[in-house]
Amino acid sequence: MKSTLRRHLILGLTTTLLAGPLAFAPAVAQQFPDKPITMIVAWPAGGAHDTVGRLVAEYLSKELGQPVVVNNLPGAAGTTGVRQAAAAEPDGYTIGVMGLHVVAQTYMNASATPFATLAPLAVIERSPAAISVRTDSGIDSLQAFVNKAKSDAAAIINSDDGPGGFANISSLLIQKAIGTTFATIPYQGYAPAVAAIASGETNTTTVPTAQMIGLSNSGDVRILAVAGDVRHPRAPDTPTFTESGFPFVFQDFVGLFTPQGVPEDRVARLEQAVLSAVANPEFLATAQSAGFIIAPDGREGFAAFLDRQDNAVYPILEESGLVIVNQK
Amino acid sequence: MLFDAFLDSFGIFAQQPILMLMAIAAVAMGIVLGALPGVSSTMALAILLPLTFGMAPGVAMMLLLMVLVSSVFGGSISAILLNIPGTPGAIVTQFDGYPMAQQGRAGHALGHALIASTVGGVLGVIALMMIAPVIAKSAMEFRSPEFALLALFGLVLLAYTVEGAMLAGLLSGAIGLMFGMVGFDTMSGVARFDFGSAILQNGIDIIPVTIGIFGITEVLTTLSASRHGALPSVPKIGSLIPPRLEIARVWPSWLRGSTTGTLIGAIPAAGSAIAVAVAYALERRFTRGEARFGKGEPRGVAAPEAANSALTGGAMIPLVTLGIPGDSMSAILIGALIIHGLQPGPMMFVEHPDMIGTIYGSLMLATLLTFAVGVVFLRVIVQVMKLPTLVMMVLISLLCMVGAFAIRNSLADVSVMLLFGGMGYLMTLIRIPVAPLVFGLILGPLMEENLRRTLILSRGSWSVFVERPISATILALIIMVMLLPIIAHWRRRA
Repeated sequence: MKSTLRRHLILGLTTTLLAGPLAFAPAVAQQFPDKPITMIVAWPAGGAHDTVGRLVAEYLSKELGQPVVVNNLPGAAGTTGVRQAAAAEPDGYTIGVMGLHVVAQTYMNASATPFATLAPLAVIERSPAAISVRTDSGIDSLQAFVNKAKSDAAAIINSDDGPGGFANISSLLIQKAIGTTFATIPYQGYAPAVAAIASGETNTTTVPTAQMIGLSNSGDVRILAVAGDVRHPRAPDTPTFTESGFPFVFQDFVGLFTPQGVPEDRVARLEQAVLSAVANPEFLATAQSAGFIIAPDGREGFAAFLDRQDNAVYPILEESGLVIVNQK
Repeated sequence: MLFDAFLDSFGIFAQQPILMLMAIAAVAMGIVLGALPGVSSTMALAILLPLTFGMAPGVAMMLLLMVLVSSVFGGSISAILLNIPGTPGAIVTQFDGYPMAQQGRAGHALGHALIASTVGGVLGVIALMMIAPVIAKSAMEFRSPEFALLALFGLVLLAYTVEGAMLAGLLSGAIGLMFGMVGFDTMSGVARFDFGSAILQNGIDIIPVTIGIFGITEVLTTLSASRHGALPSVPKIGSLIPPRLEIARVWPSWLRGSTTGTLIGAIPAAGSAIAVAVAYALERRFTRGEARFGKGEPRGVAAPEAANSALTGGAMIPLVTLGIPGDSMSAILIGALIIHGLQPGPMMFVEHPDMIGTIYGSLMLATLLTFAVGVVFLRVIVQVMKLPTLVMMVLISLLCMVGAFAIRNSLADVSVMLLFGGMGYLMTLIRIPVAPLVFGLILGPLMEENLRRTLILSRGSWSVFVERPISATILALIIMVMLLPIIAHWRRRA
């Protein structure tokens, strides 16, 4: 008798529990996400994309109540990871991390995912282009650099991060902005390009500020100018290009995207969660002490920013013969 | 001052048993992750990285360094026992390690690897502590022309040391060079030989190639032997401690390997695959007498293992002197420092000498702990050799598949692995050695990129190679190595 009662109780309770999700189905559907979210970083662990991505993932998982797992899928100038994220199921459970490389690769590589086919979610970080020289070159200002480049173009050898990389495009755009040309030598990424100026194989580099702080602090290298709206917080003594008399603003960025076709309510939830994660004071404190310039913007702002980037980058790629697909 | 901080970091461990336990756990984890094919040291670090965000910076660095150092050794375990490299740094360890295991000397091979790793690790840290600024300075003299010639030197050394028919070895090396041309051209960004496939744009990754060309080839060779009723018997394991006489013969290789590893580690972005390839090539060329490289020569295990462990210390040199990563592993360490608001680079000696001391101390402790944990671990892990041969083959095939997939969760890498596995088997059937192919694949792109950059920088003039002292020296060595056999031949006839 007693055991029958218990059995009924168990049965009843189990059924109620099972029925629960059905009864509250609409409510549960709003409970997106109900499983871990994957964040695909198209660059190796330890770099800016990875570090910003992991920081955002940490705070985003607190916002969403679900783990956000970072997965590094490097290769082919960032196109491998972006392609995988773009091709993922559009259910909101896959977020990709992108930077300027996606805009450049759109035109340089037929196998790359065009940036227009991605759904921008939010831009997180923006880092301005910069130009640095070896201190022993004697060049102490952007104006002095321009004078040198104009009087003796062969004296300037710049190291960059290879065709389509941010430092490479920066060097092309800087040449336009200062109205003269100089030689720029490709290396495989930021680290060898920085090593090249450190060793003296080159005497200038367009690798951005964050990577130059170490050498700048030790006095080996001088950061001449940064291409931001304001000065770089890690190099407060370095003027902007505009301050130096050459109006030029160009920024790399770390942004998040989803595949196209994710249901609107989920994208909205993700966007809101990302924006409040990156507004968390703890997040901001960590990111700032690590030297990242957090300048978040949501879907609309990011899309508009991407268009501005596209307008800045396309002409210079075309001039340099790097546009091989998606001609405008 | 710095030395105090170094000693202090040991004191911290002694005072906090919980820290010591964490360190031992991290070392054990590193050995296992390193031993798993496809999970490289870099990946082992990436797995641990998010866990360290919430830790104090010193503890975070300590744990990361423990995993890094131990995973480098872990990579040699699968290389020796299974003929699959656990990490890129172990790709040449198996050339002689696996034959040793097949001859019933798995224990000795692992013992040699562990001892050489420990010696290399300790020497690498000592070099880092004592002469980092000097090495950093000479590494700075190592620019594009030197790199191009170093790669050429490696290829030349190899061509003259291939077993059996030299032409077959050269052919294999040339095939490797050709595969090295696939993918984005580093100078112009043009995709080469990609046949419109996105997979090939990134080039042919060395890891799936080595997994396939050694692991799968081994499985196929064993299976075809078993069809003819000649299934090799299960090899014995033997003792872990190599015979004293052999150690007396091998120890110079530790020093040569450690020197190569430290120097190449100090060159930013060179990487462990290049260091071990050069260490092995040097070893083959400069050891005389009874050496039987490729057939179970202990020096072929000791030199690359000393090199890849010394490289860890060497790779810290650009990190502490310039603030730039020496390889993909130290890139993660830089990320970990930056997230804690610490800027790696020369100013760290002034601003955070305690952190430098922690790095040095952790590296040293990690090397010693790896040895201690390794000794315990190896006794258990060598038991895998007791499995029946066919079971072993199933295990190897499985690990090849998982390992190739694990690199970046991509079936493309599995296809590359299988393709090279089949190719390796066919090459073995017609007696073309496969090792030179791997060297061609590693050294070819290095040579091409740096040769072209040199010529851009020198505006097309080749004289730069003889004008720079280091490159002129390497060039002279290359010519000497090429002339030696001709002179020897001529003298024998005379």
